Amino acid sequence: MASTPTQTDAATQPTAAKTGSLLISLPPLANGALDAMLSNLATAFPTQTVLVATPATTPNGEAHDKPDNIHLVPYTPAATSTTSWVLTAADYLNNFKAAQEGHATACLLLGAECQSLSPEAIRALAAEVTGSSTDLAMAYYNLGPREGLVNSAILYPVTRALFCVRPRYPLAIDLGLSPRMAERLAIVAQKYISTNQNDALLWPAAEAASANYAIAEVDIGARTLPQPGATDLNTLLAQVTGSLFSEVDTKASFWQRARGTQPPHPFTISTIPAEGRDIAHMLDAFHLAYSNLHEIWALVLPPNSLLGLKRLSVTPADSFHMPDNLWARIVYDFALAYRLRTINRGHLLGALTPLYLAWVASHLVLTGSGTPPEKHIQDLASAFETDKPYLVSRWRWPDRFNP
Amino acid sequence: MWQQVNSALSQSAHRVLFKLASFLPGLVALLVAVLLLALVGAAVAAILRRILTSAKFDERVARNSTDALSDWSPSGSPTLLVARIAFWGCIALGVIIGISAFDASSNGSQISTFLLPYLTHSVGAIVLLIIGNLVARFLERSVLIGAVNARLQYARFLSLGIKWLVLVLTAAMVLDHLEIGGAIVELAFGILFGGIVLTLALAVGLGSRDIVSRSLEKNVERTDPIPGDPESPTPSEPLRHF
Repeated sequence: MASTPTQTDAATQPTAAKTGSLLISLPPLANGALDAMLSNLATAFPTQTVLVATPATTPNGEAHDKPDNIHLVPYTPAATSTTSWVLTAADYLNNFKAAQEGHATACLLLGAECQSLSPEAIRALAAEVTGSSTDLAMAYYNLGPREGLVNSAILYPVTRALFCVRPRYPLAIDLGLSPRMAERLAIVAQKYISTNQNDALLWPAAEAASANYAIAEVDIGARTLPQPGATDLNTLLAQVTGSLFSEVDTKASFWQRARGTQPPHPFTISTIPAEGRDIAHMLDAFHLAYSNLHEIWALVLPPNSLLGLKRLSVTPADSFHMPDNLWARIVYDFALAYRLRTINRGHLLGALTPLYLAWVASHLVLTGSGTPPEKHIQDLASAFETDKPYLVSRWRWPDRFNP
Repeated sequence: MWQQVNSALSQSAHRVLFKLASFLPGLVALLVAVLLLALVGAAVAAILRRILTSAKFDERVARNSTDALSDWSPSGSPTLLVARIAFWGCIALGVIIGISAFDASSNGSQISTFLLPYLTHSVGAIVLLIIGNLVARFLERSVLIGAVNARLQYARFLSLGIKWLVLVLTAAMVLDHLEIGGAIVELAFGILFGGIVLTLALAVGLGSRDIVSRSLEKNVERTDPIPGDPESPTPSEPLRHF
């Protein structure tokens, strides 16, 4: 299991997570999945007493074969969520309430399909929040080059550039939380839940950064990641980017002052073959959007970005490349338009989808030509960091002429 | 004869001058009422703007409500929307007071009896027109973006069709509200609306023919692959955006 400088290699410290009581919040799991998860927990914590919070809808814990140190704590959720592929406000609130009731000194909040996590990974996450002063331990997933593209294109670069934090997966679904971090997230979650937005997304890395809490990243190796249901890309992209832009708006006073660049993540050299068929349909979507949505983009983007898109629209498929700084400015301008409500927010986020597909096509062309995918993503994140003054300037003086 | 003509002319001139003399004060009263209420409206709008800005009304609305109010506001500012509503409300009040004053100053005039109901209808018609335009613009963009993201080649045509459907509907409602045109408007609206719907249906139906046939062909290919066919696409790892 590879480690970043801030990570703890759990395999070498099997008893690191031993101080205080640890609470592990599980999502609703089927009978077999819960058995597998309990077995993993027993392996991960052979001697430590662990509280396992499961929703009351999960089959009765007494019926499961589990060691004495694993205590199932069924709870009635304070809030329910219909979204299972990502952690929502309801999950954070339920986790905090369970931690409060169990007097836990640290907690792990695990997402759907958590039975696929290895015992070492679970132990590593726990060790990070129990054995050090870390407030937030975020999972680092080993995804393929064609997975987690929204994260690579928008979530990671924006979070890294604006909030000056390193986690590669800002929307990770496996987290280790200190009590104060869990409380802070629960307070934010409560605000959403009080307005009946139980499915709202929270951004733990941004919260931790703005509170000046310590963040660590734990490489958890392979894991089955849950995928969204049948909802289409447009809806999901709008949901996720809308939430991120809203967070950027809320924390504007913090990120405008935050300075510094993050060291790039280490990555292994691997390439993927060019997939002409995939790129073709994404390019079709971009070309169609360019001829129809140009006037909407013109309300949001400055002339320089529109010129870049014009050049891109006439670029042949085999050399299709969206420059990193162009994509960074597009995302920044959309974030600004989201704040200023230049156009309806639903329309704004809908108009971003074809541009995102163009970035994906460009990424696939680039990686197909031999550039390691992770190198491109790290370069992109650096471009976002370089262009941060552009966003700060436009955020402060949006009416100033911008070529 | 000449004396009679002269007398008739002088009497009519006298009547005109008399009418004018009784009309002018009423007109002045109307203008003064509108002007005064406009000034009051401007003052009220300025005060409201200042109070709402200091109370961070825009931020509160953005935080606590859905997009609706801000989206319909000028420059996306609910504060400006409230201020403008107050200003134009005062103007409308000024016009109503002015007409009443005009009516009172001109003896025996029944202008307000006819004008005031029509004025309220006109205000209603203007509100309808504004709302209709906003809805048309909103739906046009919604359909355009949705259709582009659904990769429909006729996205622009579809969005324009929706826009004109709403505009025609709005125009018919406005004319009906003002009681102009009567049955002609209803007939013209029916013909226009039906024509646009038929055009859209034909265009979409004919335009989609190829798409439907391609889709059916793809389904057939998917269910019945030809083994060893070099032309058949090789399965690739799917893209996962999340």
